[in-house]
Amino acid sequence: MPFLQYLRLADTMARMALRADASRYFLGYIWWVLEPFLWVGVFYLVFVVLLGSREPNFLMFLATGKLAFVWFSKTLSQASNSIVSGKGLVGKISVPMSLFPMAVVQEGLYRQAAVFVMLAALVVGDGYAITATWWYLAPLLLVYYILILACSFLGACLVCIARDFAQLISLGVMFLLFMSGIFWDVRTLGDPHKTELVMNLNPLAFILDAFRQIMMYNTPPDMVHLAAIGAGFGAMLLVMVMIMRGGSQYLALKALTA
Amino acid sequence: MSTDHKPVLKSDGDTAPVPVDDAELVEESGSVDRLAMLELDNVSLSYHSGRKSFDHGTHHVLNEVSLQLYEGETLGIIGRNGVGKTTLLRLMAGILGPTHGKVRIHPGKSASLLTLGLGFKPDLSGRDNALLAAMLQGSTRKQAKSFLSNIQEFSELGDSFNEPVKDYSSGMRARLAFTTALMTHVDILLIDEILSVGDAHFREKAETAMKSRITGGQTVVFVSHMAEQVKKLCDRVVWLEHGKVVAMGPAVEVVDAYVKSVRDARIAAREKQVVASN
Repeated sequence: MPFLQYLRLADTMARMALRADASRYFLGYIWWVLEPFLWVGVFYLVFVVLLGSREPNFLMFLATGKLAFVWFSKTLSQASNSIVSGKGLVGKISVPMSLFPMAVVQEGLYRQAAVFVMLAALVVGDGYAITATWWYLAPLLLVYYILILACSFLGACLVCIARDFAQLISLGVMFLLFMSGIFWDVRTLGDPHKTELVMNLNPLAFILDAFRQIMMYNTPPDMVHLAAIGAGFGAMLLVMVMIMRGGSQYLALKALTA
Repeated sequence: MSTDHKPVLKSDGDTAPVPVDDAELVEESGSVDRLAMLELDNVSLSYHSGRKSFDHGTHHVLNEVSLQLYEGETLGIIGRNGVGKTTLLRLMAGILGPTHGKVRIHPGKSASLLTLGLGFKPDLSGRDNALLAAMLQGSTRKQAKSFLSNIQEFSELGDSFNEPVKDYSSGMRARLAFTTALMTHVDILLIDEILSVGDAHFREKAETAMKSRITGGQTVVFVSHMAEQVKKLCDRVVWLEHGKVVAMGPAVEVVDAYVKSVRDARIAAREKQVVASN
């Protein structure tokens, strides 16, 4: 299948899934933004109202981190199961296996676009200014997208090989929710070495922090670090594409017979 | 299973898959040097289910199957449920790979499985589902869009074409599914039990459409357990039993031998039951 046709097909599958999803609910597309903001609302209730955080802009801090993280967590969980739940199609057509996670990633991308627009509106509404620094969001979003794509492809393969990985992945996502500096600031760990360690070991912590640095503190991210993450996950993506291409019949058999 | 019906040809290993009666077939079709579009050479497929059910969890689906498919012919595959017919089609379509042996497709030719209901999304309209299915079968978005009015007309769905599929009757679904599948344009069409769809009127229409494609020079592999249909549509038939080719040859003779064996087995089972109850 030519690459352009592959992308078109993934895009059509994603849009159809979104349309089907929206038609199921009375509020339709509104749920796209409503759901993540309900999450932020709950965090606000817990951390600001009940626990009384002393930081002045804690809600913005939380919203930025959580809403950026949602892109990764939702896409990965859904994409990991995509080949297995696409079993009906797998047995009938000979398409690249990566099409299944790819369609889910595109679906997540369109959904997340709405969330990011709302987030930007929220940040601006809270008194932050859109500055030239916001241009750094472009490479940041690109690198984040590559990371999500690479992880989604890997997750989809693993779950196809053994369903048990689905359990591990959902645990891993939960683990990352607490490890990536969503409720706490990586920069206020007290020890700068610790901050560096967390940022180096956990690319998500770096990316989520970069969103805050750009949108809230008008500071460009460390571009070398960002490029390194992009290169690393780009390489992983290439390897995954090659594996899925070479092993498509094996994956199909696994999806159909397990 | 006996292999001595005439003109039964058991494929034996990796040499010539279709020996003696090939000459007869070539004569029938009127052309001498037909192109082998697809060739299965001693193909076996087995897999581990993970659960230790039998043979240490290994399932043998196909066992040393050899056959050739020639350009323009309609090859039927018959056999009981679970003998590996669908798996054989999946191997031909390249969806699955053989554990042993080789599947060779003529360079530049494509094979595609024609099956019903490519993951219909019940919340979407018939139109959206048809578009998606056509694209999944390899059409570009532009091509897929150009098929839509034909699909709407042939399927006789009328305005319901724009309604969600969840509101369709099972007959309407079958009509949409068949029509969408019919739009595929490939060199080798692999058909899995699809002509038993809808009401009598639509079934007839579907069969006519299929026939016109077959007579139009399309190479077809056709799986069904409807013996009469296979006889009517196919030139040559392969009879599968427990993942092995039991017989291969002219449609009428192989189908008749198959029907006889099914009947004999049924009578034998009934006699056994009578003996047991006495």
